[in-house]
Amino acid sequence: MTLFSQNSVPLYKVHIIIENKPGISDPEGDTILHDLVLKASFPSVSKIRSAKMLKFDIKEKNKNTAKKKIQKLCDELRIYNPMVSKLTVQVFEL
Amino acid sequence: MSLEPQELIHLESKIGRKPTKTELQIVAAEWSEHCSYKSSRIHLKMLPMTGPRVIFEKGFDSGILDVGDDYVVTIHIESHNHPSAVEPYGGAATGVGGVIRDILSTGTRPIAVLDGLRFGNIEKDSHARWLFKNAVMGIADYGNCLGIPTIGGEVEFDDCYTNYALVDVVAIGFGKKDRLIKNRAKKGDIVILLGGSTGRDGIGGSQFASNSLESDDRSAVQIPDPFIEKLIIEAILEARNQKLIKAMKDLGGGGLSCAISEIADSLSVGIELDVNKVHSREPNMNTDEIMTSESQERMLIITDKTKLEKLQEICNKFQIKCSVIGKVTSKKIMKVKKGKKSFANLPVSVVAHAPLLDRPAIKPKYLELIQKEKKFKTPKNLSNILLKILSSPNMANKNWVYGQYDHEVGIRTVVKPGHDASVLRLDNGKFLAVKLDGNPKQCYLNPREGAIGCFEEACRNVVCSGANPIGMVDHLQFGNPENPEIFWTFLESLKGLTDFAKYFKIPCVGGKVSFYNETPKGPIKPSPLICVLGLMDKKHHQLQTISNDDLIVLIGTTKNELGGSEYFEYTHNFVGGHCPVVDFKTSKANMNAVLELIKKGWIKVAHDCSKGGLACAVSELCMQTRIGCNISLEKIPSDKLFEDRLLFSESHSRYLLVLERKNLKQIQSFLERKTVLFNVIGKFVGDHILFQKDSKTVIKLSVDKAQKSWMNSLEELVLHG
Repeated sequence: MTLFSQNSVPLYKVHIIIENKPGISDPEGDTILHDLVLKASFPSVSKIRSAKMLKFDIKEKNKNTAKKKIQKLCDELRIYNPMVSKLTVQVFEL
Repeated sequence: MSLEPQELIHLESKIGRKPTKTELQIVAAEWSEHCSYKSSRIHLKMLPMTGPRVIFEKGFDSGILDVGDDYVVTIHIESHNHPSAVEPYGGAATGVGGVIRDILSTGTRPIAVLDGLRFGNIEKDSHARWLFKNAVMGIADYGNCLGIPTIGGEVEFDDCYTNYALVDVVAIGFGKKDRLIKNRAKKGDIVILLGGSTGRDGIGGSQFASNSLESDDRSAVQIPDPFIEKLIIEAILEARNQKLIKAMKDLGGGGLSCAISEIADSLSVGIELDVNKVHSREPNMNTDEIMTSESQERMLIITDKTKLEKLQEICNKFQIKCSVIGKVTSKKIMKVKKGKKSFANLPVSVVAHAPLLDRPAIKPKYLELIQKEKKFKTPKNLSNILLKILSSPNMANKNWVYGQYDHEVGIRTVVKPGHDASVLRLDNGKFLAVKLDGNPKQCYLNPREGAIGCFEEACRNVVCSGANPIGMVDHLQFGNPENPEIFWTFLESLKGLTDFAKYFKIPCVGGKVSFYNETPKGPIKPSPLICVLGLMDKKHHQLQTISNDDLIVLIGTTKNELGGSEYFEYTHNFVGGHCPVVDFKTSKANMNAVLELIKKGWIKVAHDCSKGGLACAVSELCMQTRIGCNISLEKIPSDKLFEDRLLFSESHSRYLLVLERKNLKQIQSFLERKTVLFNVIGKFVGDHILFQKDSKTVIKLSVDKAQKSWMNSLEELVLHG
């Protein structure tokens, strides 16, 4: 069941996470780990990776097209560089 | 990574057995074109590399020039083309980092950076815009974080760089002569790896740079970390002050493999190292990966045991990692172990000396046809054409670029970007002028004369700031050298540069060759880039304000040389014709005359006349001072030419001088004595850029309108397409 009336298109929240691919260094995460977390005596932390998140609200037919549209948008507009970054797309129904 | 079949045979015959897998990786990295210069090395010897100011020590990665009072200036040029074409931000940034470490490795402090950037047609191609925008940002972020000023450079756009980028970086260092690292080592000394940790990034980068882009999986991406670089700079300079470093080398292309083999070879020692001791970022890296990783911000240091503790103290203070990874041995063998197990055992001379190639060269066929010139009618609307050229991406003011760079940090920059050459103040009271120039459009039409032209243009710019050229570095960028036609263009450029350098006694103190610059559409145009250093004694030529009624003198002849000009290529969309040719004798006479006039203090401003021709050179002065001019074309010393050619010809050895009327007589008689061709062509007046011929108006353009368009067009284009 959806909250929307039949002719209105549902709204989805799509989150994208952009981070350096595994194996590519991440100076920001390393700095937070070494200069902040470990110095403040949280020795059980072993790794921090930094990332950027964008949150979209998008009206689409269904979850799948919402995800696809955002993925396409990120590729075409070079929101991230696929050579360097890993993109994770998460879709939430409202 | 792999070796060519004949290289493998060569290697096996040298070591008398089959190489291990690790050995193969080490040798493949070091024997790549990028590290070994195997195609170019036998030819590079022709360049003059000595001179009264040149200091040469074994193992130096950058050129060193004595600037008097026990001070030296160091200079180095590198490119990061392939990585920047894939990831412009990180590629350009790490390019800056690499060349800065080359300066550091001689024991001098990096004091300035310049960049030469080339991209595709940003007016039409959004990918070219994306590359341009991000490469500039990468350079800015890296240099600005380090507190090293980016004091100049140049930017050019051409269709031949579609889907590609040339990012060249020049770094300049300064220091005391007696603090230069002497690069010595003896048995028992220890080998230290200092700085960033080793990861899987950039593995195979040098091989990647030695292949054409399209054939590669584009795997070599490096992430910049300017903060570690800054710490390395400070730690190493402190260690240098305490004399804790016996020899030093930056880790660049080829990673540990190249650094170890090259330093051992140049010091005539052997090195034994244990990859388990290398501080790495990721678990389970195998020996091959550690040996060929091109992780950034790392330095290799050799010191003796007694100094280790002090060195570690400094590293602790700056919170950078340093690991003792091996020791110096007397047998000239490079031995790589992992714990107790041996992975490589090679004579350093074999690793460090790839079999050199004498590649065939054939004059390209296109060169015969391309000299032919299309006939153009002289257009009627020359004012419009001038305005369009002034706002074209190549000619427009580059403040959008250098505005992002901190060009003043360090308070040495006395002449900032946007002028002919940038000028730095040195601690001994002298001044250093630096200029970087290239011109692929002309080099394409005539590789020899084009390269000479770049060299002369850089010299002219340095001379315009009042400095004597004292040295140069060159960066020769071409397509695939296995193509004899491309290799011919390389050789021609090199010969041209050699002739010019010898005639003017300007030593080549360093340089770089970058081959395999191929785009999906084919090879790039021959793109040599020349950086010239000039030195000024105690007083530097202060740029003076131009005022109404100041006279404009043009030195040099304007010839029918429009091949590769902005006018042909941008306005008429025509690639071809005769590119400008430098006459060495005239060039020298003009150069000396301008220098003397500046030293005498008789002229207000000297401005070089090059890209865009006389029309653009005069307009630039008008737009900078916001005063109009009135130029009489019939007074220009020239061949018999139509107006458009007079205005836009890019003939070399020409200078615009601005002077006060009262100095005219003495300048005239001085120039006549020197038998230099010149004439007073007009004056500054009013608020229009006015060119007349026999009192008939040829161009009339409002200074304000031109200035607005010239200043803003590049930014508009980049930000709004």
